[in-house]
Amino acid sequence: MTDTIVSYLANFEPFKSFLAFLTESYGANGPTIFAFLIFLVAVIIVVGALATIGGLGTYAERKISADMQARMGPNRVGPYGILQFLADGVKMLMKEDIVPKDADRFLFFIAPMLALTGVFGTLAVVPFSSGLTLTDLNVGVIYLVGIGSLVGLAVFLGGYASNSKWSMIGGMRGASQIISYEVPVVLSILAVVLLSGTLSFGGITKAQGGWPHEWFIFHNPFTFLGFFILFIGSLAESNRAPFDLPEAESELVSGYHTEFTGMRFAFFALAEYIEVFVLCGIAAALYLGGFQVPFNLGGDTIWGQLLQLGAFFSKTLALYYLVIVIRWTLPRLRVDQLMSMCWKYLTPIALFNLIGVGLWMWLFDGKSLFTLLFKSGAAAAGIH
Amino acid sequence: MFDLILFFTSAILTVIGAILVVATKDIMHACVYLLVSFLGVSGLYLTLGADFVAAIQLVVYVGGVVILMVFAVMLTGGPHAQKQNKFGIVKTALMGNMRTYTVGGLIGALVLLMMVKLYLSLFKIYTPKELPEYLPTVERIGKALITDHVLAFEISSVLLLGALIGAAIIARPRKNRIN
Repeated sequence: MTDTIVSYLANFEPFKSFLAFLTESYGANGPTIFAFLIFLVAVIIVVGALATIGGLGTYAERKISADMQARMGPNRVGPYGILQFLADGVKMLMKEDIVPKDADRFLFFIAPMLALTGVFGTLAVVPFSSGLTLTDLNVGVIYLVGIGSLVGLAVFLGGYASNSKWSMIGGMRGASQIISYEVPVVLSILAVVLLSGTLSFGGITKAQGGWPHEWFIFHNPFTFLGFFILFIGSLAESNRAPFDLPEAESELVSGYHTEFTGMRFAFFALAEYIEVFVLCGIAAALYLGGFQVPFNLGGDTIWGQLLQLGAFFSKTLALYYLVIVIRWTLPRLRVDQLMSMCWKYLTPIALFNLIGVGLWMWLFDGKSLFTLLFKSGAAAAGIH
Repeated sequence: MFDLILFFTSAILTVIGAILVVATKDIMHACVYLLVSFLGVSGLYLTLGADFVAAIQLVVYVGGVVILMVFAVMLTGGPHAQKQNKFGIVKTALMGNMRTYTVGGLIGALVLLMMVKLYLSLFKIYTPKELPEYLPTVERIGKALITDHVLAFEISSVLLLGALIGAAIIARPRKNRIN
């Protein structure tokens, strides 16, 4: 059906013979159950790794902000305070679980879960490497947009269920912001889909190359703009500064998660940090070549996979760093500025980009700007 | 086996979600249960091999319709709000008069007819054939939409554009009404 981690493993001879053995001894259900087990292990690994990255994200946030403000930041727990997030996690677990008196208990319980579900659901299609993709759905992009919007609903329900004015305003802002910014984000994703002719993240990544000039961001002027629109839109969708209006501390206490304590609050925080990572990963996969390694070093072997993982994570974490630096650099927007930025600037530019990419495909047969320049230069110099 | 698990999970989600939507009294809870039901329907599409429709179901219903409903609930303003909006339309229609019974009865009869038509086919003896091999549907739907069915595609886009402009015009504050 599609490329999954199991189909990658099936390239290896021992795995194949093991599958054949399973089929012999347990019939056709043997390999299915074994595939389930592999998926289970892979899911546990991916979710565990991403939860750790989310936890380390909080540490990175505090450390980088401390750096930028000439402070020390957390430095007590572990070397350089790197275990601070574990200590925070334990603290969150020990906290009293408070539910406001008039809160809508059912929605109050379900909102943090919904946020985590939405974020962990997106992990299924994130292309970590050509082998380690949980499943490379051929509708991966649409799936990601759909599942990701659960977070918006969770933010809204969290704000509504708390029965508090601050939370309600925060939730309202959050949901409207997430819905609005989905438009330019999806439009700029669509430009890439147009270029690569596929909706699967693996296919889009494989349509690019390992070198920067083969990435979609440098494919033509329109995609160059499109990357920044996608990035700004992602910032807004994950409620990060300068778009962190739903949790604006100076006006709304803490926005939609004001009333949440202990693990419930931790779920929201974790969901936010993992979502930032996922959105950065998506931006890297769509525009920055994703897991592609120059010369396709290592090929399909384990070493090649490790190199690909390194390429993907270094691009994604670079973007993650940028997100954190932006948070501690730019002041927060006003609500009306936020909306006018989305509808009056980003959306028209994204539409223009989409049409521009279509025109580029039609005029230059889908060749990248670099190819055109290089080819014409070579032709002018008389080299064929 | 995998198909069976997927089918039963989605079917249970769909049915239980739908029942709870009707059973609950809190409209916000109903929205969340509706979300569960929509997720189940998306799973049902997947069991039928319609991956594109399943993904679109996620985007449109889970991501769009449910959030829209929640917003609509927020904007209607509860039981103490004015009964009429600025266009003079009664927002919450009165229940239990002649009109509602007539409309309800007609809709009920229509649904009944549809159900009878659907369930009649259950009584025929039906031998299931082999399912055709699974093929990705995205490319075929795309090709069909811009070749054979391009007219339907264009007409629906014009309709949506009309709805968008109409919504903008209705929602726009009028200059002469500000004073």
